[in-house]
Amino acid sequence: MTNAKGRIAGYLFVLPALLYMIFFVGYPIIDNIRLSLFDVNVMNLTKGHQSFVGLDNYIELFKEGTLQKVLKNTLIFTISCLVLQFIIGLAFAMLFNLQFRTAQRLRGLVMISWLLPATITAMMFKFMFSSGGIINDLLLKLHLISSPIEWLVNSGTAMFTIILANTWIGIPFNMMLLTAGLTTIPKDVYESAAIDGATAVKRFFKITLPLLKPAIMSLLVLGFIYTFKVFDLVLIITNGGPVNATQMMSTYAYKLSFDQFQYSQGAAISNVMFVLLLIIGVIYLRLLKKEEQL
Amino acid sequence: MKRASLLLMSLMLILTLALTGCGSDKAAEPTEKSNESATAPTDSKKKLTLWFYFEGKSQFDIIKSLTDGFTQKNPNIEVKPVYIPFADFKKRLSVGLAASDLPDIVIIDNPDHAAYTAMGLFADITDKLADWPDKDQYFEGPWKSASYEGKQYGIPLGSNNLALYYNEKMLADANVKPPQTWDELRVAAKALTKGNVKGLGISAPQNEEGTFQFLPWLLSTGATFDHIAPDGTRAFSMLADLIKDGSMSKEVINWTQSDVMKQFASGNLAMMVNGPWQIPDLTKTAPDLKFGIAFVPKDSKFASVLGGENLGVMNGANVDEAVQFIKYVATPEVSKKFSQDFGYFPARRDVASDPYWSQNPQLKVFAENMENAQPRGPHPQWPTISNAISEALSKSLTLTTTPEQAATEAQAKIDKILGNK
Amino acid sequence: MRTMFKQSRWLLPLVSIIIVVIFLFPLYWLVVTSFKTEAEIFRSPQTWFPQVWQFKSYTEQLTGSSFDIVNGFRNSLAIAVGALLVSTLLAIPAAYGVARFRFPGRHSFILIFLVTQMLPASLLLTPLFILFKQIGLIGASYWSTILANATAGIPFSVIILRTYFATLPKELEESAKIDGCNTFTTFTRIMLPIAVPGVVVAMVFSFLFAWGDLIYGMTFIGNEELRPITAGIYNFLGFQSTSWNNTMAFGTVSMLPVALLFIFVQRYIVSGLTNGAVKG
Repeated sequence: MTNAKGRIAGYLFVLPALLYMIFFVGYPIIDNIRLSLFDVNVMNLTKGHQSFVGLDNYIELFKEGTLQKVLKNTLIFTISCLVLQFIIGLAFAMLFNLQFRTAQRLRGLVMISWLLPATITAMMFKFMFSSGGIINDLLLKLHLISSPIEWLVNSGTAMFTIILANTWIGIPFNMMLLTAGLTTIPKDVYESAAIDGATAVKRFFKITLPLLKPAIMSLLVLGFIYTFKVFDLVLIITNGGPVNATQMMSTYAYKLSFDQFQYSQGAAISNVMFVLLLIIGVIYLRLLKKEEQL
Repeated sequence: MKRASLLLMSLMLILTLALTGCGSDKAAEPTEKSNESATAPTDSKKKLTLWFYFEGKSQFDIIKSLTDGFTQKNPNIEVKPVYIPFADFKKRLSVGLAASDLPDIVIIDNPDHAAYTAMGLFADITDKLADWPDKDQYFEGPWKSASYEGKQYGIPLGSNNLALYYNEKMLADANVKPPQTWDELRVAAKALTKGNVKGLGISAPQNEEGTFQFLPWLLSTGATFDHIAPDGTRAFSMLADLIKDGSMSKEVINWTQSDVMKQFASGNLAMMVNGPWQIPDLTKTAPDLKFGIAFVPKDSKFASVLGGENLGVMNGANVDEAVQFIKYVATPEVSKKFSQDFGYFPARRDVASDPYWSQNPQLKVFAENMENAQPRGPHPQWPTISNAISEALSKSLTLTTTPEQAATEAQAKIDKILGNK
Repeated sequence: MRTMFKQSRWLLPLVSIIIVVIFLFPLYWLVVTSFKTEAEIFRSPQTWFPQVWQFKSYTEQLTGSSFDIVNGFRNSLAIAVGALLVSTLLAIPAAYGVARFRFPGRHSFILIFLVTQMLPASLLLTPLFILFKQIGLIGASYWSTILANATAGIPFSVIILRTYFATLPKELEESAKIDGCNTFTTFTRIMLPIAVPGVVVAMVFSFLFAWGDLIYGMTFIGNEELRPITAGIYNFLGFQSTSWNNTMAFGTVSMLPVALLFIFVQRYIVSGLTNGAVKG
């Protein structure tokens, strides 16, 4: 529908939601940008002169080296989670999509991991992965390790633990969206492919994946955004430690703003996040446009 | 297909109904405002709000008894205590400050007092306290923590410090005496470490709690919070050595002080560093455990850190009433009972000399230790300074840097914050 | 071939059950821990089953705090349903609009929807608080929390639903037009029912976003009687003196009603998912 009437109708459909979002989130975004360009800290928050410092806050953070470090951590975390969640989520979606008894009930059970408040999941994992926790007990009993691993004390294993915890939460999310995507694939496509003698592997790569592509794209872009700004989970399990090894952009921004009252630097970090996510958003749009032209 | 569309249609119907319905019936209206600080309502009663972060019902009841007691004496003023979790406290104050939505009185951690004062949160009550005789009764450290640039912005509520708890049976079994010096401590901790039991436990997360627990060690070397290097290096290496010896778990970087208490109560630790507020909980969790308390072992001198909370009076319309309230809390009878219930050490000399503190064998140690306790700051940039210290501590405890490096790095950061290059 | 088929009849469910059991192990551990005594929790090695059952963690939640749990659930439900309604009501047409109409600026609209959810909630907090205070929504009602939670639900739903609307064949619209439907009725009568699986998923997640919310409920609702369950018990727990069994009991209690709700509506969700499949 490209005619004028269609255009107006299009705007009418979209505008309410759009205005809503701009009203509630537009101001915070602009305020955050302003904050990052000034020097606002504990001494001058309510009184005194807040001077315009341009990009000094960004430069300072960069020079200090923490910015690069938290950026690297966040990217490692996000990409690992995304890949793991997607693969396992897709496997679950396809498994429960096979019509066998208990499939639906099991799918419902898997959803429960999403139902726990994130703070509780975080406490749970912190508990399970403490030195005297059940994970070490299990591994010792199975003779996979000879002495307890200090999961949350060493930087590599601490990162591994939070990735695991976040993946656990994210699997149902991926599974549900992919399940819904799978239902849009007409059955007769598979049937005719089966007649043509395509193997299961071939069917998966030639039919399932391509037809799921739109669902996968939106899933990944949303997953990226959500994982990138993950907060409570990291705060509770590791609090960014040991020695910033799991410090994420969101937790670091929080720490700067609310713990150390370095409001401007906190805002600068979250703006860097924002820009990075914006790039992801633009890439998504590019892909979307390509898709639509097909 | 039909069923689904039916479901959807009914949902849409509910949607529209609900939305129009919500606007008119105001289901959520019946309860009165709460977040707002008291704007004088129609009746003559002034309503004040008090924010605090002590957890649990019993703590709430103790605070409530303070506010109720106050209203009994001052029937026209009501103080409503509101609990805000510690983890959210700073955030709520920041948000509240930005939105001018604040309580009238807060109970806050004393090293944060200066920062909030610098932010403009607290009212200058120097003049209102000028003819208040009780102010001379306060110990200097706690009193100073509530002042900033020579002006007074609140008063101390109560104090505490850190000391060494030891499991009497474990020490007796290993034939070890409570250690007095670092050398003795290292030997003792090693002798006490067996199987699941570690010799010593402290709390060393990368936040204020970690700094708090580290200061007794740091100060004992003669270093101060603004001059960590070179003396402070010894404190970093001492704790790192305990970890290298295996007498202290690396997990300490994830333990809160109450985690440490629980480990001690479960018999997983032979010794721990903790404050007097843990005694009630400890005796409740492990009634059969016999424990003793001693000073934190020393390097060059005995040292401890001054903990505790202050009452801060917020800027706003109710400063006079708030000052009335804090004066009430400060009266010897009220403050004595409160400190007892709370496991505090009184911030006033006259109350502290009460036999309750000077005779009790356990509390006596903390009482004497007050002489060794030094305040954190006060400095408006304390949160940032503290972060530099606790970060250095994490680094040396995880053995990622040498103690020397940790100390010099922290020193460099602190110099930068304090502006003395 | 036949024997393999026969095997797979029990093999597949069995394998799936094992996988799900492993996946849900943390939940088992959560429930078990909530019934243990503190001393047993710190014992090493850990016990797989409580040696002494204690229910204190649960009874304390009911009696130990001034927070009324039942009331908390009602609040959570009101907030989650409210957020669900606001998000779906606004997001469905918006998703339809960006998916089915070609108008200038359409792509930037999608980008805006993506962009608006990029800031972490902790940083939206202060400005949102100021905004709500100015419109007078702080303290007295659920609205601040509902509206704030909808800011997470709307963009999500738009992105997800757009995909569904976009995959529908063009012919549907054309034949609807021939049948005399206008733009609006084409949307409500023809397109919407077909997109049910997407709508259901979007609704479920909008609900869950708001149900699990802690930060908004904590900050915007000062009145204890209106606090959602997450904020209420978070307050009670306190994270300084971590008590594992209480925490786990809280987890169990806060999970249970939603889990039950899920088991109850699962049938509808699944039928929504499968009925909505586009045929050919």
